[in-house]
Parts: sequence; structure tokens; C-alpha cells
Amino acid sequence: MTAYSPQQTAAISLVSPMLPFRAEILSVQPEAPLVSTYWMRFLDPELRTSYQFKPGQFNMLSIPGMGEAAISISSDSNDHQRVGHTVRFVGNVTNAISRLKAGDVIGVRGPFGTSWPLEDHHGKDIFIAAGGIGLPPLRPILYQVMAQRNNFGRVVVIYGARTPDDLQFTREYKAWEEAGIELIITVDRGDEKWTGLVGVVPLMFYRLRMDPRKSVVYTCGPEIMIRFVIFEALARRITPDQIYVSMERNMRCGLGLCGHCQLGPYFVCKDGPVFTYEQLQPYFNVEDL
Amino acid sequence: MCDQTDDKTELIDALQTIPWFHELAPDHFNRLIELSCLQDLETGQELFREGDKEDCLFIVLEGRVAIEMRVPGRGKVRIYTAEPMDIVGWSSITPVVRQRTAGARAVLPSRVVCLNAQKLYNACEEDHDLGYVVFRRLANVVASRLLTTRLQLLDMFAHPAAKEG
Amino acid sequence: MPEGHLEIGAIVTLEKPEFNRLLVAIQEQGYETLGPTIQDDTIQYNRINGLDDLPRGMTSKQDAGYYRLEYSGHNNYFDVTPGPQSWKGQFFPPRTELLTLYRQNKRDWSAEKTQPNQPPTALIGVRPCELAAIQVQDRVFLRNDLSDPLYLSRRERTFILVANCLHPGGTCFCVSMGTGPRSHSGFDLSLTELNDVFLMEIGSEAGRAILADLPWQPAAAFSLQAAERGFEYAIRHMGRTIPDVERLPEALLNDLENQQYDDVAKRCLSCTNCTQVCPTCFCWDVQEVNNLSGSEVRRERVWDSCFNPMYTYVFGGNTRPNTRSRYRQWITHKLASWYYQFGVSGCVGCGRCITWCPAGIDITAEANALLSEVKA
Repeated sequence: MTAYSPQQTAAISLVSPMLPFRAEILSVQPEAPLVSTYWMRFLDPELRTSYQFKPGQFNMLSIPGMGEAAISISSDSNDHQRVGHTVRFVGNVTNAISRLKAGDVIGVRGPFGTSWPLEDHHGKDIFIAAGGIGLPPLRPILYQVMAQRNNFGRVVVIYGARTPDDLQFTREYKAWEEAGIELIITVDRGDEKWTGLVGVVPLMFYRLRMDPRKSVVYTCGPEIMIRFVIFEALARRITPDQIYVSMERNMRCGLGLCGHCQLGPYFVCKDGPVFTYEQLQPYFNVEDL
Repeated sequence: MCDQTDDKTELIDALQTIPWFHELAPDHFNRLIELSCLQDLETGQELFREGDKEDCLFIVLEGRVAIEMRVPGRGKVRIYTAEPMDIVGWSSITPVVRQRTAGARAVLPSRVVCLNAQKLYNACEEDHDLGYVVFRRLANVVASRLLTTRLQLLDMFAHPAAKEG
Repeated sequence: MPEGHLEIGAIVTLEKPEFNRLLVAIQEQGYETLGPTIQDDTIQYNRINGLDDLPRGMTSKQDAGYYRLEYSGHNNYFDVTPGPQSWKGQFFPPRTELLTLYRQNKRDWSAEKTQPNQPPTALIGVRPCELAAIQVQDRVFLRNDLSDPLYLSRRERTFILVANCLHPGGTCFCVSMGTGPRSHSGFDLSLTELNDVFLMEIGSEAGRAILADLPWQPAAAFSLQAAERGFEYAIRHMGRTIPDVERLPEALLNDLENQQYDDVAKRCLSCTNCTQVCPTCFCWDVQEVNNLSGSEVRRERVWDSCFNPMYTYVFGGNTRPNTRSRYRQWITHKLASWYYQFGVSGCVGCGRCITWCPAGIDITAEANALLSEVKA
């Protein structure tokens, strides 16, 4: 064999990068209609301690015979007893996941991708703008913030859902607020019982005073929402390198090998899913890219 | 509609908290005091109903006011909430619309400023400098409402299965 | 056997009939020898055991959407440019089993990865553009942070014998892409076919060991000169060119709304032919293959294409819903983003995508049109 010298990595998961690890489902927590959190634990005890992820990363979850789906990790990265994935049931794989119960075994490959650079943002005001199923990849941030609240200035979560019933993690809002996280929860349409806000995530920036010198924005949700969040952030003089965006594309391998998730020069699974807007700027508004 | 408020000082203090009014000339500001009053609302209290005659433009000072529409079979659907410094009932001073196109209800204990719509409209007609400031502000309100409505119309959080039928 | 000994980098000659012994020597090292043969009116790579298996005297006529294999009566064995098949499938087969999942019961299952079992293979008559394509794919599948184990196991058990090009085809543009007509490194052995002898270059220890036992002769000056003249001829007779290749990465990514994309979208059929014949296209999908009871599931890797409608499907939506966006993805990836991803162009100038496009879309014409519209 000729002409190259690969440096083999020692990491187990990369020796056989497509092989799923078995994890037992510990419990299933319904969050909203067609959205549940699956708490799981690796069957291999060694893997439980060696497995580490960073907030914003994702795993490939799989079910034999159904295939794999990229699902972001929604749990506390310091919790080594269990890993949580909040899944919306939309496709073949996620619908199969919806039929799993505690005790069933699911396949996990990962973690993959880039993370929210929270450790670089000590002392900053963190503005989190999430919509719909865009909140789960940001929830690990909230665990981190709660564990080290004094490392950050203001921490504001703007979260929007379709209706009050669609709001996720409602049980936790009180704990978040008690930890000093400002919550702005809004829905697209309310019913007669809903006394909270009705409106859309980007427009909630009108309620905030932001100091552009010390503010960072983390956002995840439908791309159209992200577009207007960026618009409002830029209008408040937040610079593109201080706006962090988690992108969604068709991901099949998680390794930057299969090609599907490309966006311009990037593999979203490897170079993302978390990008700065500075990175995305040339490509973000190009139609059908 | 405004009852005559005996104590004008409270009203003046309240109006001075509204950023929009800071750019008014003193005589314009005094003009608005003459056609304004304060109104306190309890949780659940209606500010107006769909179909009512348009008589007031409201500025929310405290609390939260929901814009809602009655939909047969679905009850009242809340489609927008106004927070402090937001405007409710903007169509009352447009020349054409004559009745409320949606209802408004306090969902938290609230305080609003009520500006007599007809008098405000007349004042704007008589003094276009005042009219410019008022209608420029209204244009901003309408623009942000339209953006909100457009994003809601996209139904961006809808389940894909609903979209595909 | 001649005096002296061979060193890596040495250039010697071998009488043409001795090539049969060369193949045997390679086979004796445990390699299966694959090379160009005539099959289905094209050149395809099959097992070869001797010179008689090679397409002597054949020439391929190639143009946009046109390919004919013709007998032109010359005496050369390696003088026909490739057909639709590339060597890509050797390392990255169109369908590979990755692993098997065994369901134990309703709740649990186990996974077993597939052990690579490809026999050592010698690729005979690899064109310089094809060797360049293999090297491009090495960068994709064998990264510093991650190597694909199936690709690696096949790649490291491969012997490569290059056949340099003296008569390029009608859709060739390796000179523009800097990949030909001659290979300089990355092979075990290379040959340049002259009228009477093969000029052999030693590229590796494996190549040296195999050639050492054969009756090679030091290369005569006139043989070396003949090869040089041949390369000069080939350089002058490229079927296609892209004059400003180095401008492509920046120019294409800075001009994603170029109107040329609307134009090519009217001609492109989204048939995926170009990606299937391309020796560097690496996109793949994972498929589940169940047995009837569902107790055993093979997870397989299959070639995919950025022209397939499902390629970019994400729950309920498709981020590239039309041919314009898919063609743009293909050509910008190939000629521009590849450079940022892997440090090289994704195009080696082999011309297959031009020849095998049923609509005759020409990547060099499209690239030149895109460049000409870009403000310099």
C-alpha cells in the first residue's frame, strides 16, 4: 500500500465508527404531544464512565430494522449515570422510538459535532433563543448555568412553541427561574386559560435591553425563526461572531463522511451543528443551498 | 371611554413614563393629557369586545392585555399579548375602521392609558406635526404586528405530518 | 537478469512479452490482478492473467454524451482511455455490509461489525487521473481524526500499477486539474507504453521487489526521450480545458446565485450518472436490510448521490428541492468546497461525467461559464 500515512485514533468509537452501542432505556418522560425525553444508560459499565459529551452535541440513535436518526442530547453533561434525548416523533426511526419503553435497548453512536462554547463566555450575558424542538439541544446549557451561575451575567431564555400544550420541560421552569435564569415563554396562539405571552421568539428581543459588548446569543429552532433572531440580534449590534446557531440538516453518519449534511463548505454534522453566524453568513440566506 | 379623572398628576406621571411621548413638544403633550385617562383592569376583565365601537386607543402601562378572537368551536383564541408600553386598539384612530376587529382582555392585573380616539384623530388632523409623531409610532406598531402575524402564519412549529396531510 | 540493482525511483525497460511474467510475479505475492478488459462495449476492470486479456489496438471515442470503443489497429495494450467504471468501487464498493444486528428478543439485540475480507488486489493499468482520484478519496476516508475501517483495510492491501497516458480522450482535462498525463508518485509501479517496450518506474519497495526478479534493462536515453515526447503530445491534445482552475474555489462559493445555474437546470435530468461514474464522489447512505422475521438486520452502506431527491430530506421538508440547487451542490462541491474540506479539488479531470451525461452537460463548459460571469 502506498502514498499516505493515516494517524489512527485510539478512541473506541472511531475504530468502528458505525457500530452502535447498546443503551437501556431507564424511563420515558412525555414532554408535549409527540415529544418525549428518553433517559438511557449504556449497558457497558465502562462506557458509562468514559462517555462524555458537550452541550449542543448529538448522538445517532438507532433501532435494528428501522435505522438511525440524529438526536441532540438534552441532558446534563455532568450526569454520568444517564443520558437524555428529547425526541419529536416525525419519521420512521423516531416513530419507532415512540414505541420503546423502559427496559428496551436502543442503539447509540456519538457524541458528534460541535458544542455551545459556554466556557468561553464566562462573565457574559447569555441570551438563548429557542423554538419548538430547538430547546432540547440548549437544555444542557441550562444545567451548566445552574451549576455555575456566578460565572455568567444575565442568562435569558426566550422560548417559543406553537401552543401552551406544546411547551417542553414545563416542570423545570421554576427551578430555572430560582437559579436566576430569566424566562420569556411565548406561544403562537393561546387558549382562554393561557395568561402568558402570545407572540414570536424574534420579536421578544424588543423586550430586552442588551449590552452588545458583553452579550452572546445562542439560538436553535426552525431556520426561519433563526433568521429573524439573527436579524434582531444584529439590529442590537451583537456581532456575527457572538451569535451561535445550531443547524439542522439530513445527517446519516455523524462523521463528515457520507456527504448528506453539507452546507456550503461545511459538514453540519462535523463542522456544526453549532456554528457562529460569522461562519454561516455567506451561505445562510442562499436559497436551497 | 374615559371618565373625567379628578387627579391629573397621576395621569401626567404615567404618561411621562412612555418613551414615545418624550419626543412630543410640551403643547402636544398637554393636548394628549386632555384627551387621556387611566384605567385599571382586574385579571380577566375585558377592555373591549369584537364588534364594539372603536372609541379608545390604549397604551399598556402595567400588566398584560391579550388580543383574542372568538372562533366557533374553539372558544377564544389569544393571538397576541400586549405588554407594558405596547399599544392596543391601533385601528381606532385610522379613518376607516369603525368597530373592534378583535377583543382585548387583561390576563394579569393591568393599568392602561386610554386616549379618546376621535379626539386624538381630530387633534392629529388639526396639527400635522402632532399627527406625524402619532402616526409614525402607529406605523411601527403595525409593522411589528404584521411581522409577528407573518411568522405565526408560517406555523413554523407545526408537526410535519400535519403539513403533509 | 541484468547487473546492478533497482532502487525506488529507478526507470527501466521491460520487453512487452515479459509483462505476462510481471503479472504472475504480482499474483505470486498473493494479489488478484485486475485490469482493463472489454465488456459490454466499454472498458471495465476484470481479472487479467496476461497481455491477451488487455484491449490491444482499441481506442475510445469520447465526447459529451458520447462513447464508442473502436478497433484502430495499433499494437498497444494500454492505449485506451477508461470507460464508465473507475477503481472507486475497489475501496468503496457500491454496496458494503457495515454490521449485522441480531435481535435477541423484543427488547434487546446485539451488534456485530463486519470483518473486512477483501483479498489483496493489484490494480493494473491505473490511469494517472485515476490514481489522483484514489488519492483524493484517501483524504476523504483516511483523515487524521478518523479512518474508515473498511476503506482502510481494502486500501492497504492494494498494489497499484499505473499506466501513464500518451493519447488522451476527447473529454479528458487532467492537465487542467494537474493530475496527468503522468503519475509521479503514489504507485508501486508505473509503466509508459512505448512501441516496443514498457518503460517501468519503481514507486515502492513492493514494486521494486516484484520487478527485481524480472529481466529488466536499464532505460535507454531514446526510450526516455520517446516517453517525454509522448507526454508533450498528450498535454497538447487534451480534449477539454479549464483555464482558471485555481480561481474556482473562491469564485464559485462567492457567486452561488449565478444565472448559469438556471441554465444548466433546464438541461440536467438529475439522473445521477455523473456521480455514479465520478471516481471521487463519495456520498453514501445507510440502509437496513431485514430478514423476514426481523431477527437479523444487515446495515449496509450504499452509494448515494446529491442528485437524489431524498438526499437532503429532513422531516417534512427538502432543503434542496430542485435540480438547480442539486447541480449547484454537485459542481460547487466538486470544484470549490472540496478544496476547503480536503485541501484538494474534488475533480481529477477524467471526463467521465461529461462522457456519460445523457444530456451532454460538460463540467468544463459549465465551470468556464460560471467563471466568465464572475466579476474578476
